[in-house]
Amino acid sequence: MVDLKNVKYIKLKIKRRDNPSSPSYWQEFHIPYRPNMNIVSALMEIRKNPVTADGQQVNPVVWECNCLEEVCGACTMLINGVPRQACAALTDKLIEKYGDRPIQLEPLTKFPVIRDLMIDRSKMFDNLKRVHAWVRVDGSWAIGRGPRLSEKDQSIAYEISHCMTCGCCLEACPNYNSKSDFVGPNAIAQVRMFNMHAIGRTQADERLEALTAKGGIQDCGNSQNCKQVCPKHINLTAHIAAMNRQANAYVLKNFLDK
Amino acid sequence: MSKLSFFIRRFHSLIALIPIGLFICVHFMLNSSIFLGNEAYMTMVNFMKSFPFIELLEIGLIAIPIIFHGIYGIYIVYLAKNNVLKYKYYRNLAFYLQRFTSLIVLAFIIWHVYTLRIAPVSAEGTFAALLSMLQNPLTFVLYVIGVVATVYHFTNGLFTFCITWGICVGDRAQKIFAICATALFIVISIWAVGILLALAVA
Repeated sequence: MVDLKNVKYIKLKIKRRDNPSSPSYWQEFHIPYRPNMNIVSALMEIRKNPVTADGQQVNPVVWECNCLEEVCGACTMLINGVPRQACAALTDKLIEKYGDRPIQLEPLTKFPVIRDLMIDRSKMFDNLKRVHAWVRVDGSWAIGRGPRLSEKDQSIAYEISHCMTCGCCLEACPNYNSKSDFVGPNAIAQVRMFNMHAIGRTQADERLEALTAKGGIQDCGNSQNCKQVCPKHINLTAHIAAMNRQANAYVLKNFLDK
Repeated sequence: MSKLSFFIRRFHSLIALIPIGLFICVHFMLNSSIFLGNEAYMTMVNFMKSFPFIELLEIGLIAIPIIFHGIYGIYIVYLAKNNVLKYKYYRNLAFYLQRFTSLIVLAFIIWHVYTLRIAPVSAEGTFAALLSMLQNPLTFVLYVIGVVATVYHFTNGLFTFCITWGICVGDRAQKIFAICATALFIVISIWAVGILLALAVA
């Protein structure tokens, strides 16, 4: 274990890219050590003084952040190879865990890079649209409140509602890649939540229809990485298994009813 | 037609259990007759050969399902972008092994079926070919690898089958099924290697 008293610099090794089509390259930055920093505040220090470890003046590193409390998912990146939120990655903890080596920052690999650590996350939202991850309440008249959910269902829905569409599960999923159009674990879990919702369940078939279409739930290969990396500890594999049950029943019922 | 990939994937999963998984168990059970000696083994072989429509059953219940499972399985292997070195979790390793063993099993089945079912002309010829392969240390080791890979692919597949079909959902259920699948892997592997050893000394 590294004694933080002896640490003079927080070293960051950042995978940079100037624009979506240019090649990426690595740069190292040394920031004078201060206790209780996180990766976001370290990146802010670089923005104040964008000089690399070998004294070169460069453009400041581009990244996204928003809530600073691990609920929005905007600052998700690979930190020492692990997909996680930069705001919740404390530098002291990282130095204690990995030693005084430079902390590696890379953009997520499953999304198009816009610049440096900033990625285009729109595919995740397109996937939520694909599976109808919402409750349709707009109409010609007020449909009123639905019945109350049981406490058991509430607790399942509450867990899934923590999902911030950060992309960690997709980053770790071996079946979510450029070769397939898999919707991904987060979208499958969202279907479970909306199919539980008192009004949302009246539109369950639309979501199941989307979930059993091409790139749907069948593309899950049970590697279960999604559950391991989820920063909100959502039991994604259980939600996928529950949706497998719903999807199979839906397809079978559909086949026999028509 | 948008459901085609869902149907194929589920069909691929279902036939792995029935008839392929069932066949593996029956195959091991019948081959266990070697524990009773060479004569019992030959009686079993001749009994199976005398089955009416045995060729139809072999093609319809064994060959076609395995060929379909194998061909679509290669496509599934191609679809994954394995990251087991980056994400060192047990299930991720199992995911990788499931795909890795599938290729071993495919090669093994082609070799096994060609040398013992297609090439020999008689039951005695099959038995002689089998013994000569298992008495050679190199091909014996290849057989052990092929058989253990098959048992792994089958038992791990049994666990993921339970998730794919929504049979076990929660953590506790998944844990119990995973332990059972591992136990099954160990037991069936010992059984299968035992058959190979018995044949090697026959």
